[in-house]
Amino acid sequence: MLVRIFGYFLAEAAVSLRRGWKVSLVAIVIIAMSLFIGGTFLLLTSNLSRVVESWRGEARIVIYLSSDEVARLDSEVLQIASAPAWVSGVEEISAAEARSRFETTFPSVRELFKNWEEEPLPPSLEVAIEIEGVGEDDLDDWLISLRSDPAVVMVDDDRDWLRQLEALIAILTGLGAVIGLVLLTAAIFTIASVIRLTAYLYRDEIEVMRLVGATELYIRGPFYVEGVIQGLLGGLLAIAGLYGGYLILNPQASTTFLGNVLVDRFLSPEALLSLLLLGSLAGLFGAVLSLRREELGQ
Amino acid sequence: MIQFLQVGKSFSAGRIALDDVSFHLERGEFAFLSGASGAGKTTLLKLIYREIEPSAGQILVNGRNVASIPRSKIPFLRRTIGVVFQNFRLISRKTVLENVSYLPRILGMGQQERKRLAYNTLRRVGLAHRMSAFPNELSGGEQQRVTIARALINRPEILIADEPTGNLDPELSWEILRLFLEINGKGTTVLLATHEHSYVDALGGRSLALDRGRLVADDHVEGHVGDLESDSIEEAEVLPQPPGERTV
Repeated sequence: MLVRIFGYFLAEAAVSLRRGWKVSLVAIVIIAMSLFIGGTFLLLTSNLSRVVESWRGEARIVIYLSSDEVARLDSEVLQIASAPAWVSGVEEISAAEARSRFETTFPSVRELFKNWEEEPLPPSLEVAIEIEGVGEDDLDDWLISLRSDPAVVMVDDDRDWLRQLEALIAILTGLGAVIGLVLLTAAIFTIASVIRLTAYLYRDEIEVMRLVGATELYIRGPFYVEGVIQGLLGGLLAIAGLYGGYLILNPQASTTFLGNVLVDRFLSPEALLSLLLLGSLAGLFGAVLSLRREELGQ
Repeated sequence: MIQFLQVGKSFSAGRIALDDVSFHLERGEFAFLSGASGAGKTTLLKLIYREIEPSAGQILVNGRNVASIPRSKIPFLRRTIGVVFQNFRLISRKTVLENVSYLPRILGMGQQERKRLAYNTLRRVGLAHRMSAFPNELSGGEQQRVTIARALINRPEILIADEPTGNLDPELSWEILRLFLEINGKGTTVLLATHEHSYVDALGGRSLALDRGRLVADDHVEGHVGDLESDSIEEAEVLPQPPGERTV
């Protein structure tokens, strides 16, 4: 019985979509655009979040020291640095090694230190921590004790810029959500207008249906299904667009840093399903909005 | 079967469409509802299938007070009443078969079953051969037969018709009237609204007459044609022609 009812809704919705394909296409394109823009933000932020998460796992605290001498194994700083259980390793970087690393990383400016008599960069201790096992307060206390040591020039905490990146992700996510929501609202009203127009075109039929004993569910059901189909098609179109964009940009993921950060991976199946669900719900909501009692001549 | 108890209906502009109308139509009866245009015939019929609600009085259909039926239950009332309209009100994008089998479809009947039912009903009105046609491919008489088939498909106990011959020429009108008599002969209660007194005079039977919203007569008229059900269409043509020329 339920299958028959749904089959009826589907058949009627298909006929309606076929008859009014031009206006339906407008609704589908608008919903696709809103989901595409929302999906683009989702794609970028999900990739960025993944990268930040991996960086977070590799987060290090760099303790810059006043001279090579204090970096010896028996130094007080080293003892403080390696004391906590969540410190998984401490690597001593001498001033010479720091310069060597700098020259390797920035070869174009290696000539900069050519005639320097002293080492330009301070020695440091790179402390790897198991970030999952650390309480924020413990970590802060530990950093305070390090910073108060006279041998320590500066403590560079990776978490600072990771926090900034996370804030950026939050802003991007919020921006994507706002833009997506605004466009989705526009799409809902477009779908509502399209379905209202269809219902108006079918008003005589609706009256006949009502007179022969059709329930409201039977009268409205096909319109609801029509809205859902429009939303679903919009969602599919948006996903196709996103995947097309991903295929074009993804080759750059392995060659450029930005590519790697932003388009290394496509959206997860859950995210894709969410886009389809959002499109369908927008379509359904548009249909419900358009078929209030007064719209159907009750 | 249908009982009106001091029923009144007035519209928002203060126009009184029906005033203190009372009658009782028994099961299996055939009655004409006559009156000039604007007398209140359509309003009375609409009250029976609850397209509108009465302003006063009670309407009982099968013992149930129609006015008290909740909105969500109205479709179930309408499924027990076959309605035939003057202007056919067929769904133009659906075939004859689809139009007729619409109600069985929404009742969840399977495709084969409803096709068989629609075929049998269309055969009853002599249109089984036009199942695949669309309404605009049919003559006015054929369209009215489709409407009658649609009204009959759920085997309603009551059939009401609002000027069913209003858009038909005289020959087709008698043909349709004969169909209603046949339907009534099988036990269906029929209430047929018309402004053509010649039908009432010719066929006789129960006659309810409305004048400016008031029931002015509830008589049994002696017809002077006899049993039209057994007559041929050719015989029906010798009946007095209804006034005015009508085309399909």
